Amino acid sequence: MILHPTVIANLLAAYIASAMVLYAVFYGAQIIRHWDIQNGHELQLVLERKTYLISTLLSYVFGLQLLSLFLYIFTADNLTPLFVGAMCAAGTLNVGSFGYPVLVLKIFNFIAAGLWLILNVADNQGYDYPLIKKKYLLLAFVAPFILVETVLESAYFMSMEADVITSCCGSLFSSERSTGMGSEMASLSAKPMMWIFYSSMSGTLVCGLFFYFKNRGGYLYAVLSLLMFVVALISIVSFISLYIYELPTHHCPFCIIMEEYHYLGYLLYILLLGAVVSGLSVGALSPFRQVESLQAMLPAFIGKLALASVILFALFTVLVTYEIVSSSLVITYEVVY
Amino acid sequence: MIELVNVKKVFNAGNPSEFSALNSVSLYIEGNQVTVLKGPSGSGKTTLLSIVGCMSRPSAGRVKLNGREITSLPERFLTDIRRKTFGFIFQQPNLIKGISVLDNVMLPAYPLGEKRSHLKMKAMKGLSELNIADKSASKVEWLSGGEAQRASIVRALINDPHIIIADEPTAHLDTKLSYRFMEIIEKFKSEGKTVIITSHDPLVYESAIVDSVVKLRDGQIEASST
Repeated sequence: MILHPTVIANLLAAYIASAMVLYAVFYGAQIIRHWDIQNGHELQLVLERKTYLISTLLSYVFGLQLLSLFLYIFTADNLTPLFVGAMCAAGTLNVGSFGYPVLVLKIFNFIAAGLWLILNVADNQGYDYPLIKKKYLLLAFVAPFILVETVLESAYFMSMEADVITSCCGSLFSSERSTGMGSEMASLSAKPMMWIFYSSMSGTLVCGLFFYFKNRGGYLYAVLSLLMFVVALISIVSFISLYIYELPTHHCPFCIIMEEYHYLGYLLYILLLGAVVSGLSVGALSPFRQVESLQAMLPAFIGKLALASVILFALFTVLVTYEIVSSSLVITYEVVY
Repeated sequence: MIELVNVKKVFNAGNPSEFSALNSVSLYIEGNQVTVLKGPSGSGKTTLLSIVGCMSRPSAGRVKLNGREITSLPERFLTDIRRKTFGFIFQQPNLIKGISVLDNVMLPAYPLGEKRSHLKMKAMKGLSELNIADKSASKVEWLSGGEAQRASIVRALINDPHIIIADEPTAHLDTKLSYRFMEIIEKFKSEGKTVIITSHDPLVYESAIVDSVVKLRDGQIEASST
């Protein structure tokens, strides 16, 4: 194990989050089983008091969970000099077998934690805890993933040895390689991918605005925002990175978080993650618009979430377009090596 | 108006010092009436009053206000009800030293965001009605006991509550001031307000303006008379 401050911070964050989530799940299970707002029994009143503590606690834990994704990427980037062949976070994550699985889990848990936080905000608007059971069911669903993430993250950092030979991002995200998801994404032709990105983004934004103004198509927007998130990630590898690096062969999605590129990657990923979380929450909250205690506020809240999602996707697109337009790289034909 | 169903309140539950202050209290308090909760020290009067006034939650049981169940409400909803529905008069005036009478009176209305000029007008009107308008600029430490009590009454009324809750209000007043206090309570009643008082002062529970007396002992209702 490498005793680097960022590694210790990652592990501490993971252990704290897991311990708190386990504690919350214990009481969450009681709430799912015994909650009955009509009942004045002692247990019900105890659960009513406990849910304040748990909700507050989970708000901080899931806030930490959101930050931990960026801390993990920052750590991977920071440890690069310790490994032979690593040029950026991509190489560090390739040390051992768990670097990339942990990253995928962190992205998944980021979205789930974000959804839980939004569900919690909506639940707190109602006078009769209208979403309480759904909130704790979501927690029960997310908890195993957070625990698995902690186990894998521990295994990843604890098995990490300095001076291990690893692959650089040029190799991992290369259109020349025939295997690996990174290479497959890098192999996608830039021009068609650009068309797919802009057309799907236009469709997503139109759908989001349609929902915001007409209050129809919420579920469709939630699905589109998730698809758009995936398309945007593929696009970063496929063509956006080329314009940022001004190199027709460099597809790395991690070098963009480095100082040389003004930490642009962090901004792009924050915009994307924010957009997908708020977009998905439109669909997640839509079934509860008719709940009596939420009727007055929920439609407006969902509308704000949709607008936030649209704005974040639009900002992402504007930023990407600016990078493409201001880049010295001009792709006029398909690069084949 | 206010309905309590099997309300229990246990302090330090599960500890050796566990104490049951209220045991399955069920009670209905009519609106626009003066109700007195009477009983010896430790009978649960103040605990019951604090639960009715949303200042504490029961360990079991439910409280309904105008038919709406309020014990399960999340804290921010409860705070809203507490601010707008209840006016509290405590045994001690509990005025904040170092600031003027007027500022003390206006304090509970600040979170509601009412315009200061309106608020000041309302506070001055209340102080005038209780004949202490001339003390509005005085610091509270300069007030006599009766004046301080009247200032605390004006403070309780600043948000125009429907229900006035008074905990042993005459405990620190002499007979003349106690009668004066009961006159003020009569005025509240004539204005359509509901008043709930805890007291073991005969001057209060034997007063003609009191509509019902609930006798408490050992955390239970011993008798109720109207």
